[in-house]
Amino acid sequence: MTLVDEARGILNDAEALFESVDGPAAEAIRAARHRLDEPLRVAIAGKVKAGKSTLLNALVGDLLAPTDTGECTRIVTWYRNGTTYQVMLHPKDGSDAMPVKFSRQDGALEVRLGDVAAEDVAKLDIAWPAAGLRALTLIDTPGIGSLNAEVGERTFEFLDPEEHDTPADAVLYLMKHIHSSDLRLLEAFHDDTVSTPNPVNAVAVLSRADEIGGGRLDSMASARRIAQRYGDDRRLRSLAQLVTPVAGLLAETAGTLTEREYRALHQLAEAPVDMVDGALLSADRFVDAGPQMPLTSIERRELLARFGVFGIRISLALLRRAVVTSSAELAEELTERSGLTQLRTVLTSLFVDRADVLKTRSALLAVERTCAEHPDEPGAAALVARVEQVMAGAHPFNELSTLAALRSGWVPGDTNELRALERVLGSGGTAAWQRLAAPEAATVEELRALALDELTRWQQLAENPFSGHDLSSAARVAVRSVEALFDGWAKA
Amino acid sequence: MTTAEREGMFEIIDAAVMAAEAYDRPDLAERLGETADRIREAEVQVVIVGEFKQGKSSFINALLNTRICPVDDDIATAVPTLVRHGEEPKAWLMLGEDDDDMALEATPISFDDVTTYATESGTKLPTEGAVRGVEIELPRKLLSEGLVLVDTPGVGGLGSAHSTAALGALSLADAVIFASDCSQEFTEAELNFLMQALDLSPRVLCVATKTDLYPAWREVQELNEMHFEEAGLDVPILAVSASLRAEAAKRNDRELNEESGFPPVLQWLAEDVVAEVLDATLDAAGDEVQDTCEQMASTLANERSALDDPSNANELVVSLRAAAKAAEQLRSKASRWNLTLSDGITDLSADVDFDFKNRIRRLTAEADKAIDEGDPLDTWAEFQPWLVNRVSSEIVENYHVLSDKTDALSELVADHFDEEGAAVLDLLELHNPITAIRGVRVGDSMEIRRPTFGARGMTMLKNSYTGILMFTVLGSMVGVALAPVAVGIGLLMGRKGLKDEKERQLTQRRSQAKVALRQYCDEILFKVSKDSRDTLRQVHRELRDHFSERAEDIQRSTASALVAATDADRHDAEERAARLADVDAELARIEQLANAVDALLGVREVEVE
Repeated sequence: MTLVDEARGILNDAEALFESVDGPAAEAIRAARHRLDEPLRVAIAGKVKAGKSTLLNALVGDLLAPTDTGECTRIVTWYRNGTTYQVMLHPKDGSDAMPVKFSRQDGALEVRLGDVAAEDVAKLDIAWPAAGLRALTLIDTPGIGSLNAEVGERTFEFLDPEEHDTPADAVLYLMKHIHSSDLRLLEAFHDDTVSTPNPVNAVAVLSRADEIGGGRLDSMASARRIAQRYGDDRRLRSLAQLVTPVAGLLAETAGTLTEREYRALHQLAEAPVDMVDGALLSADRFVDAGPQMPLTSIERRELLARFGVFGIRISLALLRRAVVTSSAELAEELTERSGLTQLRTVLTSLFVDRADVLKTRSALLAVERTCAEHPDEPGAAALVARVEQVMAGAHPFNELSTLAALRSGWVPGDTNELRALERVLGSGGTAAWQRLAAPEAATVEELRALALDELTRWQQLAENPFSGHDLSSAARVAVRSVEALFDGWAKA
Repeated sequence: MTTAEREGMFEIIDAAVMAAEAYDRPDLAERLGETADRIREAEVQVVIVGEFKQGKSSFINALLNTRICPVDDDIATAVPTLVRHGEEPKAWLMLGEDDDDMALEATPISFDDVTTYATESGTKLPTEGAVRGVEIELPRKLLSEGLVLVDTPGVGGLGSAHSTAALGALSLADAVIFASDCSQEFTEAELNFLMQALDLSPRVLCVATKTDLYPAWREVQELNEMHFEEAGLDVPILAVSASLRAEAAKRNDRELNEESGFPPVLQWLAEDVVAEVLDATLDAAGDEVQDTCEQMASTLANERSALDDPSNANELVVSLRAAAKAAEQLRSKASRWNLTLSDGITDLSADVDFDFKNRIRRLTAEADKAIDEGDPLDTWAEFQPWLVNRVSSEIVENYHVLSDKTDALSELVADHFDEEGAAVLDLLELHNPITAIRGVRVGDSMEIRRPTFGARGMTMLKNSYTGILMFTVLGSMVGVALAPVAVGIGLLMGRKGLKDEKERQLTQRRSQAKVALRQYCDEILFKVSKDSRDTLRQVHRELRDHFSERAEDIQRSTASALVAATDADRHDAEERAARLADVDAELARIEQLANAVDALLGVREVEVE
C-alpha cells in the first residue's frame, strides 16, 4: 500500500466520522481529500516588489498576473489548470464562492470584483488552461510590506506541526540582493500567509538577478555566485533547501516572446555594432537615439520594457554571434540564461518528485487538526493515532524530518559527512543519481555499485558506538533510503 | 572663499600679528597664528551614505574620475574610505587596536591594495590591529579647496548598527550625499534615515544612481519627490549615472558628461557646500581678527585718553584699576562662569549617565518580552542584530542628549562670562574709539561675538568626540549554545515526549538568552558610561581653556591699558604730544585692519547674492 493510499484510507474514515458533525469539519476533510488528487500547490512569497507576479508569469509561460511599477497584487490569487477559463471569488465571511467577470488587458487578467471590496476577498481562484499549470498549482501572494511578525516557531513545526494547516505544499521565497548582515535578509520568510518556511519544502529565489551586475553580460554569473554564498548561510540553510538566481523579467519575456519582438531584435543586431552599443549605454540613449537607429523610439521603449537593458544586450550578443537563428531558439536560450530552466529543474526534483509525500503530509495534518477541534467525537482519538502511526512510520516522512533536522544544524558531526547524509536523503533531488552523486546518464550497474558503498558507509556510521545518538538515528534513516533504491531496482 | 579672499585674509592676519608683536602681546599673536592655521587646514567633509549596493563607491569614482574605491557586484565596502587632496596619489591604512578607540595608526599601502583592504574580503586579512578605515590622497582639482569625500560601508541596511554609526559620523560632517538607485522608490527605511540625517546635517543631497539601467527612472524620481513633499522634506534629488560619466571621461565627450547628470552635483558641492563652509571659516577668522584688533585698540585708546587730558588720567587709572580687579576675578576659579561650568559638567555627566541607563533598562524589558514570545532557537539569528541595532540607536540618541546639553551649557557659560566680562569691557570700551567709529560695533561687543561662543560648544564636542566609538563598541554578543541538545531528531521519541522535551528546552533556551542579553547590556553600559565621562572631561577642559584664555586676554588688555595710562602721567607736554600722534597713528592702523576685514568679507557677501 502506498503512502497516498494509506492517507486516502484515513481520509475516507475521517469523512465518514465527521459527516454528521455540524460546522466546517466535514468540509475541511473533503477539501483535504481533494487536495490529494490535485497538483502540488506552490506559493510564491516574498517582499512587496520582489517580482512575485513576474516569476509566476514566467512559470506559467503566459502574461496572466498583472505586473506594474507600483505595488499591484493585493489579493491571494490561485492559478490552477482548468478546462475552461474561470475566475471564482471566495469571500472572507465564508459564504459561497461566486464567479466574477474578468477581461484581459495587454495579456494580463483584469478581474472585476463588482461590489465586493478587496479587503473582503479571501482569495481569487483562477482556472486557466495552461501547460505550465498542469504539474503545479501556483499561488500569488500580496507580499509583506515590512518586518513585523517574529519568524518563531518554525523549525519544530515540521516535526510537530500544531495549528498550522498550510494551504501551500511548497513555497518559493523571493529575496533581493541584500547584505548578509542585513536584518531584512530573512524578511521574505516572514511571509506566512500561505505557509511557514522550513528547509524541506522551501526554495529561495534570488530575484531581479540581472540587476546585480548592473546589466552587464556576465550579470548572471555574479548572481549565481551570490546565490551560492546565500545558500551556504547557516540561517538560510535552516529555512530553504537552496537559493537559485532568476532574472524574472527576462524569464517572463522569454516565455512569451513574439515573432515581432524577435524581428525587432534581429534588426538591431544587423545595425552597426558601435552605434547600437553606444545607444545601449543607457536606457534613455536607447529610446532617444537618432533616426539612423532601426525601429521607432516607441518600439524601442516597448522593447526595453519587455527585456530590460540586460535582456537586450544579451539577445543582441546571441543574435550577432548567430548562436540563435529563430525566435524559438532565442526564447529557449533566454529561458536558460534567465535562470528559469534551472529553477524548473529544482522545482521538479525537489517538489514535483516529492509531491505525494508533501501532499499526503498536508492532508494528514488537516485530519489531525480537525480531530483536535473535536476531541469528544468518538473515533477521533483513534484517527489521530493512525495519523501518528503513518507520520512516524512512513520512511518518506522520516527522510524529510531528518533532512530538516540536519539542515537546521541539530545533528552534530563532520560537515562533509553531514552534507553527504543530506544528499542521500534527497536534498538535491530524489532520483537515484541525485542521491548517489552520480552523473545523470549513469547506468543501473554503476548506480548499484555506488549504492552499495553508501549502504556500507551509513551502516557503519549507524553502528559506530562513537556516533552520537542523533547521528546514528540519521544514518539509520539514510540506510533505509539506500535500501529503498535497491527495492526500486528490484521491482523494475 | 576664493583664493584672493584667502590671500587677503592671510595678509590682514600677518599685519595683525606684526602689530600684536609690536605691542608686546604674544598671546594675541599666537591666537592669530591659530586662526591662520584654521583657514589653511580648512576641510569640508562630505559623507556619502546609502543602502548596500546603491552605487556609492561608483559614484565617488565617477565624481573623481578614478577607480580607487572598490566596486564589485558582491563584495561590499567594509570600512569608511576617506579621499582628500594631495600632490601625489597615496593611500594609508588606518589601524586601531580593539580596545583603544582613539589611537589610530596610519600605515602606507600601495594603491593596488586599497581594494583588498577596503572591502569585506580585506577585513579578514591578517594585519596588526583591526582595519578601521582607508585614507587616500589624490591630485584632483575638485578636492584642492579642502573637500574630503567619505565613502561609507552600506552593510547591514539602514536602521542597522552600521548605519546608526554612520549617523553618528554625520553629526561631524559638513554635508551628506544620500545615494539610492532607481530600481524602486525610496523605502520607508530610507526615508527615515534621510529625516534623521537632516536633523544632523545642514546640507543634504540625494543622488538617484544607475539611471542608465532603469528606463523608468523618471517615474521613480517623481514618486520620490512626491514622498518628500508628503514628508515635508526639502532635499534636492539629482539623477546620475556613474557608468555614463566614466564612459564620457574615456571618450572625452562633453555631451555624454552632461547626460551623466554629474555637472549639477559638482555645482552643488562647489557652491552649496565648499563655498559655504569655507565662507563660514573665513567669517569666523574675521571675527577673531576683529576681536584681537579691539583688544589692542582698547589699550591704545585708554593710553590716548590719558595722554589727551592728563587731568583725566587719575580718574582713568582708578577706573582701570577697578577693571583690572574685575578682570582678575573673571580669570579666577571663583568666577561665576567657572562655577557654572564645573557644576554644569557634574550635572550633565549624571544626567547623561542616567539617560543611558534608563534607555538600556527599557530596552532590556522589551528584549525580555521578545525572548518570552518566541523561541530563541528560531529567533536568535534575527534577535542579535536587532538588539545590536537598538543598542546603537540608543547610543546615538544618548549622544544627542549629550550634545544638546553640552550646547546649552556652553551657551550658559558664555552668558555668565559675558555678564561678568561686560563690567570689565564697559570700563575699557568707554574709551575705545574703534567701537565708536564703527557703528556696527556699538553696544555690547561680546553680544555680537556670541555666535562664535555658541558654536564653540559643538566644536568642543567635535574635538572631544571621534564618533569612532559607535563603530567599535557594539562588538558581538556572547555566543549562546542554542542548538537543542540530543533532541533525538524526534524520530524515536513519541510526539508527546517530544512536546515535553520541547517545552523543557524552550525554557532553558530562554533563560540562556536572557543571561546573554544582560551580559551584553552590562558591557555596553560600562563602555558607554566611560566614553561619555571621558568626552565630558575633555569638553570641560576645552571650554575652561577657551574662556580662561579670553579672560586672560581681557586681563592683559586691562593691565597694559593701566600701564599706559599711568605712564602718560609722567610725560611732559611735548612728549605727550609726540606720543599722542604715535598712538593716533597706531589706532588708525588698527582701524584700517578692522576695516580691511569688513571690506574683504563685505565684498564676498555681495558676490554670493
